[in-house]
Amino acid sequence: MATAMAATAAERAVLEASLRFTLPCSGTGTEGPAKQENFILGSCSTDQVKGVLTLQGDALSQADVNLKIPRNNQLLHFAFREDKQWKLQQIQDARNHVSQAIYLLANRDESYQFRTGAEVLKLMDAVMLQLTRARNRLTTPATLTLPEIAASGLTRMFAPALPSDLLVNVYINLNKLCLTVYQLHALQPNSTKNFRPAGGAVLHSPGAMFEWGSQRLEVSHVHKVECVIPWLNDALVFFTVSLQLCQQLKDKISVFSSYWSYRPF
Amino acid sequence: MRCSLQAVALWGKKAPPHSITAIMITDDQQTIVTGSQEGQLCLWNLSPELKISAKELLFGHSASVTCLAKARDFSKQPYVVSAAENGEMCVWNVTNGQRVEKATLPYRHTAICYYHCSFRMTGEGWLLCCGEYQDVLIIDAKSLAVIHTFISSQSPDWINCLCIVHSMRIQEDSLLVVSVAGELKVWDLSSSINSIQEKQDVYEKESKFLDSLNCRAIRFCTYTERLLLVVFSKCWKVYDYCDFSLLRTEVSRSGQFFAGGEVLAAHRIIIWTEDGHSFIYQLLNRWAQMGAAYKTFSGLSKSIYPADGRVLKETIYPHLLCSTSVQENKGLSFVMGYMNERKEPFYKILFSGEVSGRITLWHIPDVPVSKFDGSPREIPITATWTLQDNFDKHHTMSIIDHVPGAGTVIVTSSEYVSSLDKLICGCEDGTILITQALNAAKAGLLEGGSLLKDSLPHKVLKGHHQSVTSLLYPHGLSSKLDQSWLLSGDQDSCVILWNIFTEEVLHKFFLEAGPVTSLLMSPENFRLRSDQVICCVCSDHSVALLHLEGKRCLLHARKHLFPVRMIKWHPVENFLIVGCADDSAYIWEIETGTLERHETGERARIILNCCDDSQPLKPEFALPVTSETHKHKSVEQRPSSSCQFGPIPCPGLQVESSWKVADVKPFSGPFNVLPVKTRWSDIGFHILLFDLENLVELLLPTPVCDVDPSNSFYGSEILRRAKSTVEKKTLTLKRNKTASGSLSAEAQAKPVSENPAQGENTAKSLGDNEGIKRQKKIKNSKKMHPKPSRKVEANITIDTAKLFLSCFLPWGVDKEFDNLCIKHLDILKLQGSVSLGLASNEDHFSLMLPGWDLCNAEMKKDYSKVNLFSKKVLDLSNKYTSTLPNQVGMPRGLENNCDSSQESNTLNTIVYLLNRLFSVNKLVNTPLELACGIDRSFKMESVHNKARIPGNEISNISSFYGYLRNGKSESHIPEADISLLKLISCWRDQSVQVTEAIQAVLLAEVQQHMKTLSKRAGNSQPVSMTEDVHCEMRQILQETEWTREEVELHCTTDTLPLQTPVSPVKHDSDSNSAKFQDTEDMPDRCVLEESESPGKPRHHSWIAKVCSCKLC
Repeated sequence: MATAMAATAAERAVLEASLRFTLPCSGTGTEGPAKQENFILGSCSTDQVKGVLTLQGDALSQADVNLKIPRNNQLLHFAFREDKQWKLQQIQDARNHVSQAIYLLANRDESYQFRTGAEVLKLMDAVMLQLTRARNRLTTPATLTLPEIAASGLTRMFAPALPSDLLVNVYINLNKLCLTVYQLHALQPNSTKNFRPAGGAVLHSPGAMFEWGSQRLEVSHVHKVECVIPWLNDALVFFTVSLQLCQQLKDKISVFSSYWSYRPF
Repeated sequence: MRCSLQAVALWGKKAPPHSITAIMITDDQQTIVTGSQEGQLCLWNLSPELKISAKELLFGHSASVTCLAKARDFSKQPYVVSAAENGEMCVWNVTNGQRVEKATLPYRHTAICYYHCSFRMTGEGWLLCCGEYQDVLIIDAKSLAVIHTFISSQSPDWINCLCIVHSMRIQEDSLLVVSVAGELKVWDLSSSINSIQEKQDVYEKESKFLDSLNCRAIRFCTYTERLLLVVFSKCWKVYDYCDFSLLRTEVSRSGQFFAGGEVLAAHRIIIWTEDGHSFIYQLLNRWAQMGAAYKTFSGLSKSIYPADGRVLKETIYPHLLCSTSVQENKGLSFVMGYMNERKEPFYKILFSGEVSGRITLWHIPDVPVSKFDGSPREIPITATWTLQDNFDKHHTMSIIDHVPGAGTVIVTSSEYVSSLDKLICGCEDGTILITQALNAAKAGLLEGGSLLKDSLPHKVLKGHHQSVTSLLYPHGLSSKLDQSWLLSGDQDSCVILWNIFTEEVLHKFFLEAGPVTSLLMSPENFRLRSDQVICCVCSDHSVALLHLEGKRCLLHARKHLFPVRMIKWHPVENFLIVGCADDSAYIWEIETGTLERHETGERARIILNCCDDSQPLKPEFALPVTSETHKHKSVEQRPSSSCQFGPIPCPGLQVESSWKVADVKPFSGPFNVLPVKTRWSDIGFHILLFDLENLVELLLPTPVCDVDPSNSFYGSEILRRAKSTVEKKTLTLKRNKTASGSLSAEAQAKPVSENPAQGENTAKSLGDNEGIKRQKKIKNSKKMHPKPSRKVEANITIDTAKLFLSCFLPWGVDKEFDNLCIKHLDILKLQGSVSLGLASNEDHFSLMLPGWDLCNAEMKKDYSKVNLFSKKVLDLSNKYTSTLPNQVGMPRGLENNCDSSQESNTLNTIVYLLNRLFSVNKLVNTPLELACGIDRSFKMESVHNKARIPGNEISNISSFYGYLRNGKSESHIPEADISLLKLISCWRDQSVQVTEAIQAVLLAEVQQHMKTLSKRAGNSQPVSMTEDVHCEMRQILQETEWTREEVELHCTTDTLPLQTPVSPVKHDSDSNSAKFQDTEDMPDRCVLEESESPGKPRHHSWIAKVCSCKLC
């Protein structure tokens, strides 16, 4: 009985922690459109690429990318088409995992009393699984191959269309929104270079090669700019805190259950 | 796969936990399939009278099962697909429990729907899947490869539930889904098959926001083709399918959460809740009250009947007709389903599965009506059952039940020491029981075995005050450690070092860290001052390192916040690397006991992956028995899933098989006991493993005639002798080893350990070096065991062989036959039927549950207490007998030595039988590997452009024949064997299970043998009439057979060299894994490739060539 009480108390704490973590888009439509936030992406080393991305909940609603090419001092500018939005899959998945966790915790009656420790342990396992996945989605961006980036819908989002020698990728890494721009040049068919297609990576390095259509391409320059999203930082902290709370609850329950089986011989 | 491994489960009194997370009833209403949180599937037999009985437990997933669905047109193939939390998918044949296909994709499915459109689709159909990813995946039902996706153009999101709408009126199948955000989307299904197959993007046709979250089910009313039922967790809604206008919303009571629903009939629906209640409603509206007139209206299209959305909305309302409920158990979560069958022998069934493992069925009447006063009627429970009910009904025995004094204790941990044939069981009351495993198994299984009960040798170690949670026998892992040592850890974090021979406590370590969850030993290459160390993982997440020789605790690492998942050793720098459940890594310096580094995230992952000699914690309820050769597969699949999701915490993938450890042991015997512990509970059971190959190898080279088999149920006398010889032998071995070890190292300075004789040995060692090496080599090669152990092992081996035969003989089919077996084979009869394990390829395994044999309706009539695996066995056996060469003309090797004693004759018979069984087993198993082998070899060729050496295969075939022909003179013509070979090859094509084949052959061979025996006895024993007839029939059959064979013979021999590269297969899979590691960057593709081509057609053509006889 004591365990049951402890369980509910700690469960509330977990619930509080997860509820406090609100991604600014939970419940699409119910509270009207999510508010827009602008982020200016830059890097401390170079200023060749500047990006202004507008995040609306889990979607990129606007993007402006400026690329300075030092070779011919050309300044390129691309922006999203007005009618298009780009879902940031990582944020959406993380949000969905959290709402699953909340659902797991919330879908019982207020007056419900847990009967056994094992019941709570199983629930905590399920909740922690969701929370871990939510965190992992933010901490581990997808490793994509260059053809996958080229084929992704993101490249088709821009107006005017991206030139064929540019690739763009946007992802979340921990609490940062990252934008990478790859400059490409075609490999000559009779080139003496040994063609070796690059595998999947979060960030490809210059020299990575791939085949796209009938062409063989090589990455000549890579530009990566990023910007911290404050609420993602909060989210990650809350993930860690609630995971620890869950674990502590599990630990407490196992201590109690070992007391139950205790027999002073 | 260890294809020669046969398993028998010794369940305890308690059933393993089975927390049901998914449930379905097959279309023929004969089987209930449940998936559990523990990762197993359970097949339950459903009788025509709606009685439930558990049949079989299927081991295959290493994580919680999320959903089940049928995977084929059920009338053609009884296949069911299951998906697990970690992305594994398996297709199972639910009639025989075999796994058909397996894939691990980086997707977690929560619902699967089978779709097949015979006239537009080639192949076996699609599995439409949704889950923790965007939109709907289309997976090929046969290969489990992703074909394509249905993409949404508007707000793509995870999909909660889906249903296929098949409307006669529109002549178009549609896919309806509801996303987590509550968006209803519709895709055209049948008309987009072509574009899907051409990999074009298919976008949704319609999309509508439903304004509620947590959708649990969406169902289309096929009766009216008009209504759409959508169940959310807090309400259910009825929509008009024509324009998706809302007709009715019904909100749940407080504390009530809907979990699903189904349409029963026109305007009649059933809704169920998470706590196991269900409600049947009549949806009343204007049309329904119009009665017959409604029917004419419903056929009219919407345009003719105008503006009814609004009108309907005002008129439709639900009226509660009936309800069902479960007693007690309030609040536990249930998974439920409803099966609507309109055909006669079938029922309308509402079914539910609970977390506690209970299944409940309600028979829903065709026309549910309320009581006369209009209040809802309660539908009674028709049937309810749990796994435990099966166990109670069939009085199961655990392996230690017959140990005197064991009585009712609960075993909390156990370990089998194969070198001593000892089973060590830690009990709940703190005692440790040590007993002879073979004898204990016999006492539990065999009829006369109960006589052994009193004489069953056992020891009780008393020292713990709390239940023993983990055991470790260090010598089993490294022969350098003292053979008498045993380590045990208890609930109170006390670890005791025992001498198992003298039963004394050598040392007690008090760790003060909660229950000891596992005891591990550092790998061979890691030593601290020349000794290996013991690693204790405790439940307060701390890790302690114990030094046994020094009897002290070296390090107690206590900083971990999350449970320890993985232990790694860094031999060069003396680091202990601890991986935790939250994906963090802790690096401890062992010498100083300081925390060197703590890393999380990506860096931790790199650190944990860098050391190869990982020591993941023991599996919980994962059955790694057959996984060793295919383990690389799961390991290499891991990156494929992590590339999308990051590391998934799936224990099964990281878990290394404990069986593998046993395999590496110097004494991997023909018999092994695998203790299996379950997750979240103390309940465990044991699996007896018989390695047929090893058994044959041990018995074959020099059939041991000098052992008196009558003595082989060895009493304590022999036991003691055996033990002492074992001790002596290992002593000398140890001496040799240390000597050679000290040579290879710098080593004269090595501390002299417990053996006083070692000194002179080291001095002599230089000269002995050569001899030692040779001896080591001999020891390594399996076939030639050093002399001293031979006799001891022979005893165990023969007993193992007898136990194995006892388990597989079809007792009870024929009384006379039974008696003959007991008399001539010197074996004992089974008490009841055994729970066999069946390994379908790779790491998949099924275990029969107690009482499984009574599930089979037809068998129940004929044989009540019979150890017959299936009815098929008898037919197969007859077929086999008829193919056997005529015994009169061809005396077999075993009959040659008529003049020798009966004992050695018995022994020879056993050896012969086992040999036969092994080759049968190999034959039935080979094609799977063969198929793979060919497949892989082709891939290898394409990769390396290397042809394979044909000589290899040929030599294999000859050795293969050697197996079949063994015991016969060289002049013996092999035609008969070829026909047998053909027959058995055909069996496997008819998907005869290995166990069935083995039993059939065993029955036939033993019958044959008994007949010759009785004939030789001067025909004094009259052969029964039936058998005579049988015999004649057979001869006639044979005659026809012979002529046919003559014709086929050369064609067979021509084609034969194509087949059975038995050992190259293993080599292939190894190099294959190497190849996979090379291309690790694209693991997805590799997995796909592999699953795409199972090499079936190839194998069929081979069959057609070899076996054109009509016999099979």
